[in-house]
Amino acid sequence: MINIDTYAYASQLKTIDPLQKFVFALITLGVCLWADTLVISLAVLFIMGWMTIRSGGTPISLFIKLMFVPMAFLVIGVLTIAINVLGNPQGFIVSLPIAGFWIGVSKVGMYEAGRLFFRVLGSVSCLYFLSLSTPMVDLLAVLRRLRVPKLIVEMMGLVYRFIFTLLETADIMLTAQNSRLGYRDLTTGYRSLGALVATLFIRAYKRSNDLFTSLEARGYDGDINVFEVPFEKSRKIYIVAIVVNTILVFVALTLK
Amino acid sequence: MTQNILKLQDLHYTYPDGTHALKGLDMEIKRGQVTAILGGNGAGKSTLFHHLNGILKPSSGQVFFEGKPVDYSRKGLIRLRQSVGVVFQDPDNQLFSASVYQDVSFGAVNMKLPEDEVRRRVDVAMERTGISHLKNKPTHCLSFGQKKRVAIAGVLVMEPEVLVLDEPTAGLDPKGICEIMKLLKETQKELGLSIIISTHDIDIVPLYCDQVFVMDEGGIVLEGTPQEVFSEKKALRRVNLRLPRIGHLLEILKEKDGFNFKELPVTISGARKAMKIWRDERKS
Repeated sequence: MINIDTYAYASQLKTIDPLQKFVFALITLGVCLWADTLVISLAVLFIMGWMTIRSGGTPISLFIKLMFVPMAFLVIGVLTIAINVLGNPQGFIVSLPIAGFWIGVSKVGMYEAGRLFFRVLGSVSCLYFLSLSTPMVDLLAVLRRLRVPKLIVEMMGLVYRFIFTLLETADIMLTAQNSRLGYRDLTTGYRSLGALVATLFIRAYKRSNDLFTSLEARGYDGDINVFEVPFEKSRKIYIVAIVVNTILVFVALTLK
Repeated sequence: MTQNILKLQDLHYTYPDGTHALKGLDMEIKRGQVTAILGGNGAGKSTLFHHLNGILKPSSGQVFFEGKPVDYSRKGLIRLRQSVGVVFQDPDNQLFSASVYQDVSFGAVNMKLPEDEVRRRVDVAMERTGISHLKNKPTHCLSFGQKKRVAIAGVLVMEPEVLVLDEPTAGLDPKGICEIMKLLKETQKELGLSIIISTHDIDIVPLYCDQVFVMDEGGIVLEGTPQEVFSEKKALRRVNLRLPRIGHLLEILKEKDGFNFKELPVTISGARKAMKIWRDERKS
């Protein structure tokens, strides 16, 4: 599993106010979707990639690797647009006659497919910019500032914190079962897995009780109130967001 | 100001499942000292600790803080918990936030302090526990020792008068144990804190602790300075504990090999001194 969060912590853009990054990513995403032009999509992809890799210091190999994550869905989706079925071979660049019909790729289809392809990659790059420069904790802080109900944000925070502990516990138990031949055949395996899940649930329940006790000891009164590490005060990213998106919108309008 | 910061009087506690964990426990904890609570597994140490800041309410008996009986109303408990901070054994049960900074700030924010003061305290606590460089690290990427320090910082930020630590050295490597104990000792000296620790690690007790209580089956069986307690060898062994290794060695040397030490020291420096005296006496 690629742990995006570890790269977000290492990013040089981490210290920037997460709200600004959030706004920048969302507006650019919006413009990319609205413009629906090859040039704009490519520009967004390039800008976001540039900012993540050059300004953030994320390794380029990782960025490219992540770009391949949506590829499987994307290729299938794009192929259905690129490939057409017609009664005659005219207009096709390449075509195959099958049972009186012609299946092939047309120029228009190719262009359409390409446009969609890069529109998706451009949009995805906006989200990658955000997640590769902003750790989960900072994103939660944004949600809090955007007045998302406290309960939801707190739950997300606790889930995120303890998912690692849960996985670790499960992993240790699995190893322990394995070393006592708990998975030697299918029946034993199912029985062991059942025991593991049940124990994990009980452990989680007990741990939540212990956590509550220790929160109480530090004056928990029903709300988890904390302060965040202060962020850089500059509004640099807002300015970048405005300049970049004005240019993009302007270019898109002239092209249309 | 009384000399005893905490006093427990004839404390009884029975868990809902019927386990009678504390059976008439009496204890007086002196201000500004490091007090160790020794006891085998299941002696009632954790139950006792949960009484010190009102997480558990005694079935009978009383807890006194600064000479006044503990007030178990909501407000009273808030006041008590600001004064008596508890660091739990497993830091994973205490650290709830994925951000170190957020977790440390929690207690101070709950005290409704102004923002500047909270931030100042967080910085001080992180500095003191040596975790300032971890400010931007996610909690789940820390080592066990680092988590332990974050847990301590999260309590120090409330600037308590009493710091209670359940097995602070459990699970740490020898260097980690030494560092944590030094950190506690320094903090205690600088802030005039009273520190209470529970431990199985008998060897650290004569090095860092001023006062020792030995627990067994929900009561106190021995109390005194480390030197006093460790001279009660038989009683210690009866409750599944032992002498510090050095003390044990010197005991064997004295009883089986004819070294006539005047007293039995339990630390390395004490043993060294005793050996030198023994050597010089032989020379003359």
